[in-house]
Formats: sequence, C-alpha cells, structure tokens
Amino acid sequence: MKTSAIIIASAVLSAGGANSATVTNKDGEAAVLVIVEGDSRVEMALNAGATETFCLSGCFLTTPSGDRVGLQGDETVEIVEGSVVVK
Amino acid sequence: MHLLENVRAFSIALFLGLLALGALTLAADGPAVAQESEPSARQSRPAEPAVPIQPAQSSQPAPQAAPTGPAAGTGGDQPSAAASPVLQQAEDQLAQADRELKRITERTNAVEDDDAMLAELRAQVDELSKQIIAASVPTRPRLDEIKARLTELGDPPGEGQPPEDAVITDERKRLLAERGAINALTGRAENLSIEARKLANRITATRRAIFSNTLLRHTDVSVEMLSEAATATLHEAMALSRSIGGWLTFAWNYKRVPLLSALFLSLCAALLFLVGGYRLFSPVLMRPEEADEPTYFRRLSLAFWSTLIPTVALAAFAMSSYFFLSSFNILRPDIAPIIAITLAMGVVLFFIARLASAVLSPSRSSWRLVRVSDRGAKMLMVPIFAMALVNGLDYLLGSISESLGSPVVLTIAKSFVASIIIGLILMSMAWIRPVLRGDEPYDAPGHPWPRVISFSFLLLGAALIATALSGYVGLARFIATQITVTSAILVTVYIGLLTGKSVSRQGAFAETVAGRYLERRFQLEPVALDQFGLFAGLGIYVLVLAFFIPLILLQWGFKTADIESWTYRVLTEIRVGTITISLVGILAGILLFALGFLVTRWVQRWIDRNVMARSRVDAGVRNSIRTGIGYMGVGVAGLIGLSAAGIDLSSLALVAGALSLGVGFGLQNIVSNFVSGLILLVERPFKVGDWIVSGTTEGFVRRISVRATEIETFQHQSIMMPNSLLINASVGNWTHRNKLGRSEIAVTVTYDSDPRRIIELLHDIAAAHPMVLKNPAPNVGFTAFGDDRMTFELRIYVADVLTAGGVRNDLRVSIYERFRDEGIGAPFPMKIEDITPEEEVEGANEEPSVVDEEKVRSG
Repeated sequence: MKTSAIIIASAVLSAGGANSATVTNKDGEAAVLVIVEGDSRVEMALNAGATETFCLSGCFLTTPSGDRVGLQGDETVEIVEGSVVVK
Repeated sequence: MHLLENVRAFSIALFLGLLALGALTLAADGPAVAQESEPSARQSRPAEPAVPIQPAQSSQPAPQAAPTGPAAGTGGDQPSAAASPVLQQAEDQLAQADRELKRITERTNAVEDDDAMLAELRAQVDELSKQIIAASVPTRPRLDEIKARLTELGDPPGEGQPPEDAVITDERKRLLAERGAINALTGRAENLSIEARKLANRITATRRAIFSNTLLRHTDVSVEMLSEAATATLHEAMALSRSIGGWLTFAWNYKRVPLLSALFLSLCAALLFLVGGYRLFSPVLMRPEEADEPTYFRRLSLAFWSTLIPTVALAAFAMSSYFFLSSFNILRPDIAPIIAITLAMGVVLFFIARLASAVLSPSRSSWRLVRVSDRGAKMLMVPIFAMALVNGLDYLLGSISESLGSPVVLTIAKSFVASIIIGLILMSMAWIRPVLRGDEPYDAPGHPWPRVISFSFLLLGAALIATALSGYVGLARFIATQITVTSAILVTVYIGLLTGKSVSRQGAFAETVAGRYLERRFQLEPVALDQFGLFAGLGIYVLVLAFFIPLILLQWGFKTADIESWTYRVLTEIRVGTITISLVGILAGILLFALGFLVTRWVQRWIDRNVMARSRVDAGVRNSIRTGIGYMGVGVAGLIGLSAAGIDLSSLALVAGALSLGVGFGLQNIVSNFVSGLILLVERPFKVGDWIVSGTTEGFVRRISVRATEIETFQHQSIMMPNSLLINASVGNWTHRNKLGRSEIAVTVTYDSDPRRIIELLHDIAAAHPMVLKNPAPNVGFTAFGDDRMTFELRIYVADVLTAGGVRNDLRVSIYERFRDEGIGAPFPMKIEDITPEEEVEGANEEPSVVDEEKVRSG
C-alpha cells in the first residue's frame, strides 16, 4: 500500500513537472496549426481565443502564415494575425 | 505520406533558397542587419541546451559552410546563411545531427538483438532530437525581427499607386528571402526530427519485440521500475487524451459534416446487416418457448447464428466506420491505428461475450450447450469475460503504446499486471461449482470441479503469479495469453466435436437442414440418411481437428512453414522401418480406383443399354458381357489404384509368387470357383433366367457371381451352387438354345375302347389348343398294354417350355371332357374293388365316378 502510494505520488509529481507549451489564438477566427511532434505531422484546430496545451517534449509548429518555429516545450505561444509570437 | 511531405518541404526549401540567392545579389548590405541581430538573439536565450554540439562554431565565418553543407537541394540558402551567423550555426548543428543520426541508424542495424545496447542508442536518439529542436530555436528571435521589420515596411504598393523607394523594395526582398531561408532551415530540422523519432520508435519496437519474443528473460521488478512505469503511464494517458482531444476538436470544427455522415453511413450499414441477418435467419433464430427439450443440433445452430449475426453486424459497423472515416480523410496518421485497434478489440470482446453466453446460456437451461448448473453457468460467465477483457486491454494498450512510441517499461509493467490479474482469475475459477452429476436438474446447486481440474486451475494461477513476481514477465505474459487463447480454441474444438457427435447420432442428420434437403431432393431412405449423417459427423471431426490443431500450434509460436512441412511430410512420407507410406498416394489410389469403378459402371451400362439392347442380344449374353466388363474394369482400376498408391507391382508379384503355393492349398476351392465362374461366363452353358437341373437341384438361374451361382427353385428357395460344381457335374438346361420343349400326357383307357379312335381324338384335342406347336407336330404313342388298360401318350411341343404346365392342364381337362362326351370311359387307371365277375361287365360300361389316382408328372 505504502509502495503504491509512493509510486503514484512520484508519478504525479514527475508528470506534473513535465514540460508543456501552451498556445493561445488571439485572432478573431479559428486557426489551423500543423504540429510535428514525435514522428507524425498533426493538424490542430484552435478556435478564436482558445488556449491549448501541447508539445510535451519539443516540437515544430507551422503557423497559418507559413512560418515554422521549433519549440522546446516550455514556451507560451500566441497566434497573432496568423503569425506566431513566442514569449 | 511522409515521403510526400518530404518532397513538399524539399521543393519549398529549393524555391526559397533560389529566392534568397536573388535577394543577396540585389542587396549587398543585408547581412549587416542579420549580424547585428545575432548577439541579441543569443542573449535573449542564455540557457540553450543546443550549444554542446558545436561550442566553437558560432564564430566561424562563411567559407566553412560549403564543405559541411547539407544536401544539394538546400544549398541555395547557403549565401544567405553565410550572411547570418545564427543561420550558419544552426545549419552546422543540423548537419552534425544528420551525421550522428546516420551513425546511430547504422549501429541500430548492427545490434538488432542486444537490448542494453538498444536502450543506450535510444537514449542517444532522444538526446539528438532534443538537440535538433534546440538548433532551430535560436532562429526564432531573428524571425520575429524580420516580421516586425516587414510590418514596418508595409505591403508593396499596388497598381496605380506611386512607386516606393528602391531601397525599401530591396530591403523587403532581402527580408523575405531571409525569412524563407529560416523557414527552410526549420523545415529541414523538422524532417530530421521526424526521422530521429522514427528511429527511436523503431528501437522501442525492436526492444518490445525482444521482450515479447524472449521468454526466459529476467526483468527486475522493483519499485523504481514500477514508478517509472507509472510515470510513463501518466505521460501516455496525457499524450493520448491530448491527441484524441485535438483530433476530435479538429474533426468537429473543420470536418463536422464528413464525421457525422461517416458515422451515419456506418450505422446504416450495421443496421442493414442486423435487420437483414435477423430477417434471413429468423426461422433458425426463433426460440419457441414451448420446446422444452430442443435437440442438441437445434441448440447448436441457435448458438451459432445468434453469435454470428450480431457479431457480423458489429464488425460491419466497425469496418464501415473505419472505412468512411479514412475515406473522408478524417483520420490522422497517429489516430488511425488507435481507432482501428479499439474497434477490432470491441468486436472481438463482443464476439467472446456473445459466444460464452450462447454456449452457457445462463438464463435458459434447456438451450445450454454444456451440461453445467444454472448457478455455475452464471458464475462461469464472469471469469471468462474478465479474462478476455484483460487480454484484450493488454493488447489494446500495447498497440496504443506502440503508436505513441511509449517506453518499453510500460509494456513490461502492463504485462506484469495483466499476468497477475489473469492468475487471480484462474485461481478464482477453482471455487466455482458448476458440475452436474447423472441426471440432476439444471437448478441443482452443483458440485465442485473434479479434483484434477480445480487443482490445475489453482496451480496454473499460482504459477503465473509466481512467474510474474519473480521477474520473468515475458514468460508470464506468454503463458497468460496462451491460457486464454488456447482454452478458447479448445472450447471451440470441444463444441465442434460435440457437433460431429450429435450429427452422427442415429436419426439426427435427418433433422438438419442438409438432411431434409437430401431427403427431399434424392428421396433418401432413413438408413441412407443415417449413413450420410455418419460421414458428415466424421467430416466435422476431421475439419475441426485439421483447422484447430494448426491454430493452436501457431499460437504456441510454431511457424507456418514448420507446420506446412510437417503436414507435407505426414501426408507424403510416413516411414515405418524401411517402408515409406504416403497418405496422399493412398488417397489418390483410392480416388483413382473409385473413378475407374465409376467409369466401368458407366461403360457397362452404356454397352448394355445402347449397344447390346439395340442389337437384340439375348439377356443372358448381355449379363455375361456386363459381368465380364465389370471384372475387367475393376481389375484395371485396382491396378491403377495400386500403382498410384505407390505400391510397387513387381514387389507385389514377388509376394504373390511366394504366397501362391499357400494360396494354391488354402484358397484352392475359392480360386477354382472363381475360375469356374469365368468359364461359365465365357462358355455359357446356362445364362441368367435359364431353367437348369443339376443333381437334385432344379430351378431358374438368378445370378452368376464370382464364387457361386444362385439358383431359385420352383418353391422360391435360393440355392447357392458353387461354380466348380456346375462345371464339373453335368447340368441340364431346359432353355439352353431355345425354349422349345416337349411335354407328355399319359392317358389310359380300358380295353373296351378303340385305340385308333383314341389316337384320333387325342390328335384332335392337341391340334385344337392354340399353344401347341404345329411343327414339330404333336404325336400320340400307344405305349403299353397294361393288365387292365391300354396306355397312350400324347406328346406335344410348346414354344416356351415354361408354359407347358398350363398347356398340359388345359389338355387334360379337354381329354376328360371329350372322353366323357364320347362315352369312352375314364382316361386313367381305376381300381376295381370287390367286383364280382357278373358286375364287371356292367361296371365297365358305367361312367367313371371315382378318381383315385392320377399319374403325376413332374412339372
């Protein structure tokens, strides 16, 4: 019982400590981002004003404007006028 | 898909590179801006982990770029990169990462089955992919600057607007070129990162395969390992929920119509299958409540169809939804395998639950296929479904891990948990009490399993848990899977064998659909149907064993090629000592023999009906020829069959020669009868239908067969006369060449009559009968002077000796009547008793009154 409690606690801690980037769409319309994480390209739809968590361990992001940026997984990203702003 | 992406990225890079080249030649002062921005960019991100690869390269000038430059396609952005140290550095780092990735790929290929080395390589790949991302990160501030500057410069003037300053146009062009170069570089980093992730996943897949395929591999089951696994589980859960959530959001926002229509169409397909199936099989599926004790076959067919139809409907739903989702382009490459596996697992679980409930039929005891108690059936359902569920989940989660690229430790931990749960379920099954004794009713409380079974449940479960706990997780997982899958197959085999048994039971086949069809179509007798049932039962046995034994062997890890070669060897080459037996050869021999037999029969019939019947050949000859052809055909077919079966005829001749002495003594009679039969057929002293006399036996020949001839006497007694007797003894044949026969009737009259008158009368009587031949003409002989009477004999000829009896009857009646009318006196001897000499004269003139005796001729 004690062991399992330790396991779960450590798991939660380590999971909580994991990196993750957030992206917020500041534009008035939905944006489609192409995210390359792992070995696949994935399209992510982001409604106007919506915020999404993504990119656990580094990824590449292609914005609606066609710019590509590499993210290490701890950034906060905003979509402004179809273009990416990394903070 | 990825190839396409690569090509697209490649062409974009090429285009942007060319653009950058053009911009550079136009604007010579561009690089200065880039160089200025470089230090600020580096300062803004001081804690970059990307640097370790090339710490000294950052200040390297442009000329270094050319030799380390990457593939030719991206060569176009070299001048631009040369102008910007940030780009140059990233370029170099990427090139080095590319080389490193190639090196790791080669090493991975070299150490295919070394788990420790693979784990190390995997760590290196992870580090490399981090570096690849890190290499692209420093370009971000420069991109921001370019974008900001471009915004300041504004859009180029449209048509009709006054032209702007050439400096501004040049700067815009230059900035756009640099932006393109950065994007191309990032795109290349992206592709490289994808390749690195693929390599990492491949290494993990190899390690997973090593774990699954190496049974006796000890894994350290420790708290750290479990905590690592728990962390990985949480990560995986997050990744899964994120990718599914992202996918759902995307699909809902952008592909709502295709998504909904795919779901609608697949629901329609499922409904179609379900309704169609139930409509089509409703007579089979109906459960008439009044049928108290349905036959076993009825129960089986109900179980079969009630399992199959809903499963097929569900499978149709799953397959069509997958098909529509993928053809409407809604699925993403990372989601597609997860969806496919989940759908497949759902169908399999549904099938198992449905099958278990059909076999055990917990609520309706009369439809139960195996004899267990009500309570036992209900309780057995639980562990069966639980085991299927645990195994299915193990498989499903394994596939999810695979598609998400989770670490191997997760697979190990999952198998560990699954093995322990299955072990516990197995142990719990030992306490169920489903067994019914003798003719106990179904609602009886039930007895525990036989000692052997419950003990083996306990032992297996305990062994499984012990194996998993002691660290042999791979072995435990293998055993757990084998227990569930093999026992599922064994149960199916058992039910299949029960089906075979119930079909071959007397009278059971006639009640099946096939039986009824055969009965209707060919008007088969119950006996023939029963024989069909016996064959059908045997066929089911063979099919069940031939299908499921290879399945179990495959489950146990034997390869298809092994099983094929075994089967081939068993079928073609069984060695017993020095003798080689080939089952296929024997089968082919039997088949050829059967074929030859059928052809013989056909030729026999054809010659008999078409050739001989048309040529008016005598029935007996026809029979002889038919029999002869039959013997010959069977002999030839037998020879062909024997040689096809691979039995060497020359060695057979040797054996026959050695045995012939023994045969000569032991089978002397049979052989002589057989040869006599052949002689009878060739020489034809009598034919079928002839009336023959041999010794004391007299009658019609009914059949001439190999050993004996069947003679039917006038009393309809069949006598089997050995052929050799008919050859050795004299045989009388009344109907040998023709059926003409002579028949005699004796007539005696007293000396009072006139012999000439008598002869004349008899002639008249014979001539009057229509069946008596005119030629040879009938004649009358005065054959004897008796003590009291004269004896005459009327000899007549009839065309068919078989009708002689009737003709004689008619003639006798005519003679009697004629003699009475003529007053000649009785045409037969009369006993004259106690007659005095005076009375004798009177008595002689009187009409005959008493018939005491008649001379009876045989026939």
